[in-house]
Amino acid sequence: MSLILVLPAIILVILVFVFPLIRYAWLSFHAVSVSTGLVMVPNFGANWSRLIEDQRFWQDLMQTTRFTAFSVTLEIILAIAIALLLDQRWNGRGIIRAITILPWALPTTIMALGWRWIFNTPYGPIEQLTQLFGIEYLNLLSIPKYTWITTVIADVWKTTPFVALIILAGLQSIPNDLYEAFRLEGGNSLQALKKITLPLIQPYILIALLFRVAQAFGVFDLIQVMTGGGPATSTESLALYSYLNAMRFLDFGYSATIMLASFLLLMIISITSYILLKRLRLLTVK
Amino acid sequence: MRKLKQLFLTAILSAIIQPINVSSATTKNKVDIRILMPAPFADSTAKIIDRFNRHHKNQIEVTVTRGPLETESVSDLAISSLLLGDNPYDILLIDVTWLPKYAEAGWLFNMDKMIDNSEWELLIKGARLGNKYKGTLYRWPLVADIGLLYWRKDLMKIPPTTPNELFNISKRLQKENKVKYGYVWQGKQYEGLSCVFLEVLSAFGGEWITENGEVKLNSPNSLKATRWLQSLIKSGISPKAITSFAESEALQSFKAGQSAFMRNWPYAWSELQKDSSAVKGNVGVTVMVSDPKYSSTSTLGSWGFSILNRSANKNESMQVISYLTSESSQKLLFKEFGYTPTRKKLFSDPILLKQNPILTNLKKGLEITKPRPQIPLYAQVSDILQRELSTVLTQKHDIKDSMNRATYKTRRILNSYGID
Repeated sequence: MSLILVLPAIILVILVFVFPLIRYAWLSFHAVSVSTGLVMVPNFGANWSRLIEDQRFWQDLMQTTRFTAFSVTLEIILAIAIALLLDQRWNGRGIIRAITILPWALPTTIMALGWRWIFNTPYGPIEQLTQLFGIEYLNLLSIPKYTWITTVIADVWKTTPFVALIILAGLQSIPNDLYEAFRLEGGNSLQALKKITLPLIQPYILIALLFRVAQAFGVFDLIQVMTGGGPATSTESLALYSYLNAMRFLDFGYSATIMLASFLLLMIISITSYILLKRLRLLTVK
Repeated sequence: MRKLKQLFLTAILSAIIQPINVSSATTKNKVDIRILMPAPFADSTAKIIDRFNRHHKNQIEVTVTRGPLETESVSDLAISSLLLGDNPYDILLIDVTWLPKYAEAGWLFNMDKMIDNSEWELLIKGARLGNKYKGTLYRWPLVADIGLLYWRKDLMKIPPTTPNELFNISKRLQKENKVKYGYVWQGKQYEGLSCVFLEVLSAFGGEWITENGEVKLNSPNSLKATRWLQSLIKSGISPKAITSFAESEALQSFKAGQSAFMRNWPYAWSELQKDSSAVKGNVGVTVMVSDPKYSSTSTLGSWGFSILNRSANKNESMQVISYLTSESSQKLLFKEFGYTPTRKKLFSDPILLKQNPILTNLKKGLEITKPRPQIPLYAQVSDILQRELSTVLTQKHDIKDSMNRATYKTRRILNSYGID
């Protein structure tokens, strides 16, 4: 009986998750490109050996990891601060809460275009400011060393509200009695934050982390619109590289290999960080 | 499963696309012809399409799908629809660089038998390029786009003809504080950079890929060309931010009067004649500079119509294409939107010449224009070049190393294709 009840869910998971994965795995062992007339020809792991030798893949992997690590960390820290603020009772809180959500509600392509102009040299507001102070142009979108930071800023701006929302939900699930009791025992606010708030919102932070890491690791539209992967391929993400292979180069076999490899790597990263957090006893949730 | 996937993709596609004319095929014998075009083309041809539909009432009804604005996004949409199997279009308006790829994938219909040789003869030289693949005609040109050098008439009497002259005039004007920058172009890591580079390459006698498939990106002449491009940034003639400039950024800088020269496509001309332009009336157009020993080139960036193999109405499709590219249509498109004509005759049309004097320069450009390498793997090859050039322009990397790497990688791509 129980099996019948979960059957719809299982079918759905197979349809949208297991099937595409198997299909990708199958594709990754075939050459399917213009060269083969878009016909599947088995190439016995040639895609995978090409991937291992492909410097661009490893460079993009490093870049995607860097992008994910920095943007997700910043988002979590900022979101906790924002959520704490929005959890307090004050006049006009409802309006501020609504405004805070706005960046997240905006389509990514549109906000990415906006950021592209914000960082534009010489017309963007940032360069206008530097001119005001008589500093030379920063050329933020033209220096491979720094351009990735602008994409992190844009991503943080866009998704912090989402993380804040999840954490705010967590904060609201903490009963007020706990704080009152804590205060009666003589604890101060900072201690309350450390002893009550943070441990109790940990599961929510974890959920946000999970969502965000998976999302940031697959970042595509933001990068495509803001920098197109440049300058000097310094901001190219794995998803962008995979897209280029599929849609521009019509090399579907290799594109599937990149995507599957980044999925596997993401799994490995997630599992190791989970185990690591557990070992370090930083994680108390089961 | 395949059906399901198709259904899903069709749903997505139809959500993205908004047809301009929702066809109401009521008559039984009426043929529906559907065309996918980038948004700007869909807008500019709307009038002509309307006229066609009125003239062919009860026979042919043309529906235009307004694709995305950006060139490569249109290709993405076209490719997704072609991969669906159940093809929603009869005609595609395609860019010159897509043709070999699409033809090789077997998506395009052989037009050889549909077009008379006398029609072919009516095309201007540059417009004939980029329509054939392996000797077969797959595309009929709508507009012939070419790279041009824009210069400021108020700052100099005659435009430079050599890279050295361009360099020196720029330096002098910058020293005299007449302009902030000498020369703006497209230096971002994208297709535009390949277009710019092809012109500079020819200016120094270099080559990208030769007719018989040899890669020449690390030849001494090619290195000289790369060095010149790099020197523009090093010397401050082009802003450092040029490595994030696409067409619109370059146009904006030139339009604001910041720069003495600009490399751009013909569309920029009408933008520069608007009242909002700080250089209105002071702009001249010429072909790209080149070393006196070599001939100047402009990169071909033309668009044309292809009939899809899966179309059930190829004859009617051809009829539509002929109408859209007819003399009167081209006149209208040139007058109202500045689309460079493809028919020889129009370049000596006195009325058009009077209206738009740059027609003479366009003709000159079309005589020396060169297409980018016409190979199915062009996108990969161009991507390699863009990457290495962007590295050289942004990071002061060793030019020789970068171009050696580009050559090696390009060769490998070409070889992989040859072997397969």
